[in-house]
Amino acid sequence: MSLVKLKNISKIYRNNGLNFPALDGISLDVQKGEFLSIAGPSGSGKTTILNIVGCLDTPSGGTFHLDNNDVGSKNSSQLADIRRHYIGFIFQTFNLIPILSAIENVEFPLILKGGISPRERRKVAAEILAEVGLGDFLHRKPSEMSGGQQQRVAIARALVKKPQLILADEPTANLDSKTGREILDLMTAMNKKTNTTFIFSTHDKMVMEYARRIIMLRDGKIESDEKRG
Amino acid sequence: MLTLAKLAFRNVFRFKRRTFITLSAVSIGLALLIISISLLNGIDKQSISNIINCQTSHIKIFKKGYFDKKDELPLNIRIEDPTPVHEKLAGLKGIRASENRILFGAGLIKDMDELPCLGVAIDVEKDPEIFNIKESLVQGQWLDPKKSQMLVGKDLAKDIGLTVGDRVTVRMVTSSEDEDFSWNALDLEISGIFDSGNPGVDSQRLFIPMAIAREGLSMEKAVTEIVVRLESGDEKFVDRMKKEIGQILVSEGEDLEAFSWKDLAGTFLLISKMKSKNSAMIIMIMLFIASMGIINTMLMAVMERTREIGMLAAMGMKKKEITRLFVLEGSFIGAIGAFLGCFLGGMAGWYLETKGWSIKAMGESLQDLTSAFYPVKEVFYADITFELLLMTFLFGIAIAVLAALYPARKAAKMNPIRALRHI
Repeated sequence: MSLVKLKNISKIYRNNGLNFPALDGISLDVQKGEFLSIAGPSGSGKTTILNIVGCLDTPSGGTFHLDNNDVGSKNSSQLADIRRHYIGFIFQTFNLIPILSAIENVEFPLILKGGISPRERRKVAAEILAEVGLGDFLHRKPSEMSGGQQQRVAIARALVKKPQLILADEPTANLDSKTGREILDLMTAMNKKTNTTFIFSTHDKMVMEYARRIIMLRDGKIESDEKRG
Repeated sequence: MLTLAKLAFRNVFRFKRRTFITLSAVSIGLALLIISISLLNGIDKQSISNIINCQTSHIKIFKKGYFDKKDELPLNIRIEDPTPVHEKLAGLKGIRASENRILFGAGLIKDMDELPCLGVAIDVEKDPEIFNIKESLVQGQWLDPKKSQMLVGKDLAKDIGLTVGDRVTVRMVTSSEDEDFSWNALDLEISGIFDSGNPGVDSQRLFIPMAIAREGLSMEKAVTEIVVRLESGDEKFVDRMKKEIGQILVSEGEDLEAFSWKDLAGTFLLISKMKSKNSAMIIMIMLFIASMGIINTMLMAVMERTREIGMLAAMGMKKKEITRLFVLEGSFIGAIGAFLGCFLGGMAGWYLETKGWSIKAMGESLQDLTSAFYPVKEVFYADITFELLLMTFLFGIAIAVLAALYPARKAAKMNPIRALRHI
């Protein structure tokens, strides 16, 4: 059963009365537990797909099912609910809340999700930070951490609510290649351990090596869909 | 433990300098508000107490027709026999004391000059129960009912150079049955000088024992007014007693009328009313400044944190929750600012209530100006109440919430994708 099912998705941006097609008839099935990279040159539609799958944007045409739910029929509040329960995000620029410590940043999605006691929340957050290798940095503020450490916090934050799907938009673009590899190793490990589906976009060959499936985009269309190992 | 409120609270101190400036604007605005309102209230209170304690008491009884002509000080519109009135008043509950008085035009002659004054013949024994002239003696002694003496105010004594023991001539118009009048003069010794704090009284009034004044004025039993002091100065009580006294006077067929201090202090109350309109303006301006500070700070915060707002929305925070986060942040600024403002304003108000605000240093012309409007001189005292502080505090928070609403909605309306792309 597929977790993400895109059928003939198109997205057209309008600007000054002109139409810019960003996606053109994308159909894609992603199974649970996949570790998938969406690759392609800039402007090929990587981010647009991630935004649609992340329920941040709605397609101009086609259908999108997430875990057998038709997402097309949802309003913005319902979409926010889906994001808060099903989807974790990792951003290129980390986007931690600067006034919160590492552990507070990780707790934050659990506050939004609700239904967990503060004590339990803190415990879960501490555990997952230890798993990403930051057990000694629980109370550091983002400004007191390196880029790699911040992205580890972001991964912990995405994972903590046990989402079905984690979306990462160019997660290593702001990191040096060594740190980038460490982050990708961590994502791979977490994918194996928790069986959470990861979809990440990149234009970096090195990053693509980590993916077990690579979707190549060009001009809003799928150019190739390659499964590996 | 992390909560939305805690996050909002920490956001307040994210940019310390800006928050400091906003807090200063809010707290100084509110403190100034408290200071000005408490001063205005204090001046009102002081004025009312000066009017009641030196001039009008709570209630005055006149012969019908006297009220309209009271500024001319007519001696022929008079209460011929006050004794039965006092007897009837004694039967009423809630009256502390009543006293006969005669108000008359007098000229104080010193050397070659004559100064027009307001002569007041008083019941030397009863007067201290009603007015504070005896308490406010600064030199000499209270009057002896049988001696040819008088009391003058400090300002008057200073103006024409009088001291205790001086003898002066007071010229007065005598009362006469027929309309034509004659002059009379009394030689009086100044037994004391008072400083009541009411500029009109201290610079114009001469207090003379009733028996001595009657001789000079050729009035046997008659008086121009009966003043009544009540047990309490509560407004409703005064109004009720004015009615009750009025009814007694009517039922007995006396041709007399009762007036409350409010009827007699009409001009002052008019000014006071105008002033409260002005203070409403002050309030609006202060609150406007405070709210502009908050709106500005919050708009800056929303702009600077655009990407963070996008991230919060991506994580599934709803418009309502984002609005709440920013409104909370604004109301924290409001609450802290209001608390500081109340503290500062309260301290300043308390200082002005105990030590007062002396306008002496600002020169005599200002003093003359203020005495023209207020029966208060030299030192103004604020009247700071817990109610005023509480109202200001709550008002401050309410304004902050309202001011934060617009920036918060702006934040909530952001498109998360565009917000995330914001640099």
